[in-house]
Amino acid sequence: MDHFKNINRRKFVKQMALLSAMSAAATMFPGIIFAEEQEKGIPAGANLDWKKAPCRFCGVGCGVLIGTENGKAVAVKGDPKSPVNKGLCCVKGYHSIMALYGKDRLTKPLVKKNGTYVETSMKEALDLVASKMKETISENGKDSVAIYGSGQWTIPDGYAASKLFKGCIGTNNVEANARLCMATAVTGFLSSFGLDEPMGCYEDIDYADVFVLWGNNMAEMHPVLFSRLLDQRLKRGVKIIDFATRTTRTSMASDKSILFKPQTDLAVANAICYEIIHNGWMNKAFVEEHCNFSKGLTNMGYGLEDNYAFTDKPEKISFEDYKTFLNDYTPEKAAQISGVSVKDIKLLASYFGDPNKKVMSLWCMGMNQHSRGTWVNNLVYNIHLLTGKISEPGNSPFSLTGQPSACGTVREVGTLTHKLPHGVVANKKHREFAAKIWDVPVENISPKPTYHTVEMFRALDRGDIRFMWIQVTNPFVSMPKLNRYRAGAEKDDRFIVVSDVYPTPTTDVADVILPSAMWVEREGMYGNSERRTQYFEQMLEPPGEAMSDTMQLIEVAKRMGFEKQFYYKDETHIEEIYNEYRKHHEGDKHNMAPLEVLKSQPGALWPYVNGKSTKWRYNAKYDPACSNGKDFHFYGLPDGKAVIWQRPYEPAAEEPDEEYPFWLGTGRVVEHWHTGSMTRRIPVLHQAMPKAYVELHPDDAKRMQIKNGDNVKLTTRRGQIILPAAIDQRGIPAPMQVFVPFFDESKLINELTLDSFCPISKEPDYKKCAVKVEKV
Amino acid sequence: MKKRLGIIIILTLLFAGFVANWGYSYKQGLKEAYTPIIKEQTIPTISSEKKVFERSSFGLKYLDMPIDSNHQRSLSTYYSNRAYPGAPPSIPHALVKGERGMGGKACLQCHLNGGFTKKFNAYAPVTPHPEMINCRQCHVAQVVGTTFKETNFYKMEAATAGNNNALPESPPVMPHPLQMRENCLSCHAGPAAPKEIRVTHPERINCRQCHVSNTSDMVQTEVFTRTNNN
Amino acid sequence: MPIKSYLAHPHSGMKEELVLALSQFSECDIFPSENKDVVILITETATTDEDDKLTEKIQRISSLKLLAMVSGFNSPN
Repeated sequence: MDHFKNINRRKFVKQMALLSAMSAAATMFPGIIFAEEQEKGIPAGANLDWKKAPCRFCGVGCGVLIGTENGKAVAVKGDPKSPVNKGLCCVKGYHSIMALYGKDRLTKPLVKKNGTYVETSMKEALDLVASKMKETISENGKDSVAIYGSGQWTIPDGYAASKLFKGCIGTNNVEANARLCMATAVTGFLSSFGLDEPMGCYEDIDYADVFVLWGNNMAEMHPVLFSRLLDQRLKRGVKIIDFATRTTRTSMASDKSILFKPQTDLAVANAICYEIIHNGWMNKAFVEEHCNFSKGLTNMGYGLEDNYAFTDKPEKISFEDYKTFLNDYTPEKAAQISGVSVKDIKLLASYFGDPNKKVMSLWCMGMNQHSRGTWVNNLVYNIHLLTGKISEPGNSPFSLTGQPSACGTVREVGTLTHKLPHGVVANKKHREFAAKIWDVPVENISPKPTYHTVEMFRALDRGDIRFMWIQVTNPFVSMPKLNRYRAGAEKDDRFIVVSDVYPTPTTDVADVILPSAMWVEREGMYGNSERRTQYFEQMLEPPGEAMSDTMQLIEVAKRMGFEKQFYYKDETHIEEIYNEYRKHHEGDKHNMAPLEVLKSQPGALWPYVNGKSTKWRYNAKYDPACSNGKDFHFYGLPDGKAVIWQRPYEPAAEEPDEEYPFWLGTGRVVEHWHTGSMTRRIPVLHQAMPKAYVELHPDDAKRMQIKNGDNVKLTTRRGQIILPAAIDQRGIPAPMQVFVPFFDESKLINELTLDSFCPISKEPDYKKCAVKVEKV
Repeated sequence: MKKRLGIIIILTLLFAGFVANWGYSYKQGLKEAYTPIIKEQTIPTISSEKKVFERSSFGLKYLDMPIDSNHQRSLSTYYSNRAYPGAPPSIPHALVKGERGMGGKACLQCHLNGGFTKKFNAYAPVTPHPEMINCRQCHVAQVVGTTFKETNFYKMEAATAGNNNALPESPPVMPHPLQMRENCLSCHAGPAAPKEIRVTHPERINCRQCHVSNTSDMVQTEVFTRTNNN
Repeated sequence: MPIKSYLAHPHSGMKEELVLALSQFSECDIFPSENKDVVILITETATTDEDDKLTEKIQRISSLKLLAMVSGFNSPN
């Protein structure tokens, strides 16, 4: 022991010696770089073998280096070569490999027989899955089977799922949990620009002067990117504006924090547009050249009833019409709706309006999990379009993501009911294109989208869906209005297959549990928020009989008689799938980088054209797909113009009333990722954040005589829960609001949340419903 | 007569119309005029979160400070000054401004931002809570080096550096509670920081992005085990 | 056990040679800068005597223009 202590001490002394030499060198040679040294690790970690991978957790997509020794992952470092994180990770990333080694890791397939789980072989389990799926199809039709995946699916996982279900079986029952987090970002991009995903990239952070965070607690949720903002503030004195409904760590770090009432971001965004136009800050030349004005339907409802359907009907309007519409959103009127002072609204508008300031807007779940989410996404694009602050370094509306491959797999491969890898199922040409690459008859692909996620679980409850295969996600913690959907899945003649790495409340309802190989126990790719596709090789052997989700899908496909389409060889299947997938995206607008490129560097941004990543789309200087001869070309829409949308303020589906007087919002904490099935098995993280709590405003707590740690009962129209109070802790909600994190499977806050959703994107609003708060 | 009556009726109607109209528009005018002003908000402060960033504007300066190895503090001198880990340190030097010196005019002159003091041949440690200015409420001077009577008080062992990480090279967890010490950089950066715990990257100011606290000394936390298994 | 760190400046254009020469000594850890003509050198020796001898040997390397010590530590074990 003493020996090790000495070695550690000596390592430490050496590190100190090195650091002092480095700082001495830095004073002599400003800007000096010692990349080699950083990468090797200062106290050289014995004989570790370091290999690169994208991080397993959020959508930032940090590059990490994983050190392995004797077939085990033992250490993690930030990859200094990655342009995403430049060598820095967050606490989850640094401890990510510990999530591979939880004691209760699933290693054997389990089949439920007479109420108990029996271990079986992988072969038998896959046989059972295939035969059960065939049986269900022959009895109840193609649309009675479904697959529900996630933004943690690697690109080959999602591709195999889509090809099997949409191409081979012929049902559009393919959805992913990204519907619960990113669907609104997608419809926002599609309605404003005709093409999904951000125009800019993280490098915008290095150029912007002002950062407006729209309902985004970046310091905890996207900490590595937030550190890049803080770094820019130290070096260049940029401004960080936190525009939120709750006071958080981000508010504390920001230069200015502005609180608004839930849902009223719609009004404030419109007021900013009003100010921009009425103060003459509009970039007229840009707007005339590159923008159209449109309005859509209003009073859309909230999707609370089964089989709810909505299709927007866009209608072109004139600039004058739009200007008249904005008269309802003068700063004074918006202040009444939002509770934000006129001065603060004008301040926000002036940052956008100042022609000498580059502005980056950043947002994530606050704007996406919003019953008018598509609208508020549109409105932020409006602000950037009106001022022409878009598609150039530092001027960037930037939608962040929460899962490692929400973009790469769900949005780009298109594992949503209406999507194909290229285009949509409703379009005949797109169907023909996909069918050709998939080597299936075009009639196989149904032109009609079936169920979006919430409706899919309703269909399972109703019995329209009888068989569901759930991979890499934990819906029975994360679905809103959980009680109904879990009860639906537990019904007798439903067959649920769950592929996962740990037992969760979702595996608890499964008929078959398949153990999955996780992250670097297999080969794959993720796509992050800035259109960066990143490859990782297999570094470890999966435990027991665990198998990658891709391989599970291939094996089942073969058993169902689709050997011809699933021709891939075991050793090279990832490469073969990726090369096949690339064909869907050929062309200047979406070309994916070849695999050799992804293997050699920390990812590449699509469109990858002529050996180069495209950093700023729609800008002729950077994007080879621009073809109209002008500075900008929004080629996603037929006339090459972006759309400025007339979108009003409308209230949330359920607002506080006498009986349920508080707002309830849910979210995450820095230590845990989503439903916590991985991060809670990392001792460091669990010990730092062991259980869920309910945050109250100190004034409310005082009035109700609730002390920190007291038990508090929350009741909504859907359920109730008892949680310890957190007063003046991690965050402070506004008065008459409460906040609960959702990582704790023993405190299922989603039994209380409402399943209202944005009618355009069908993404549920987890941030707003009415709740009663009582001390117990 | 009829004609006159007719005119009167018309006039009355007109007048009534006028009154109604005027009243209505007056009321409308009143409505518009009354717009309650939304006051500028005061944002609550979360001290445990806010103070992390308090000294962050010095991040780059800390990075440039040379290491003066002749005047470094070490963890052992750091703890020798405290009755137990977490106790307020006692004042190891004579009171510069005398017995009645108070906060900003006395202690904080050196302990607000630190710096080398020739008189004591040392760098002044920086206080993590400069807003509390009745310093000697908690920090007392060591006037004599002896004790009145021997004590049986057991001085708990302090956390040591270099063994708080879960993995080789992973960021160490915080082995101490944060109350009154939320401001990381005050003790972990600059020339007065004990050399074992001086941060190599003071410019990374969102400390708790990577370093989480280990709550086990306050609440007993086991590793996560599922309790609601069916 | 002395541990010392130095900045080693090569004669112009001779960084590679210097790195090569330094890497012959097992007591040396070398961290060349990526973009500037300077190399960080950390030495770790068992005794002060050995340390002196090593420094002498390093000083004799022909590609070395200047060796500047930055910090030194000496711990009992």
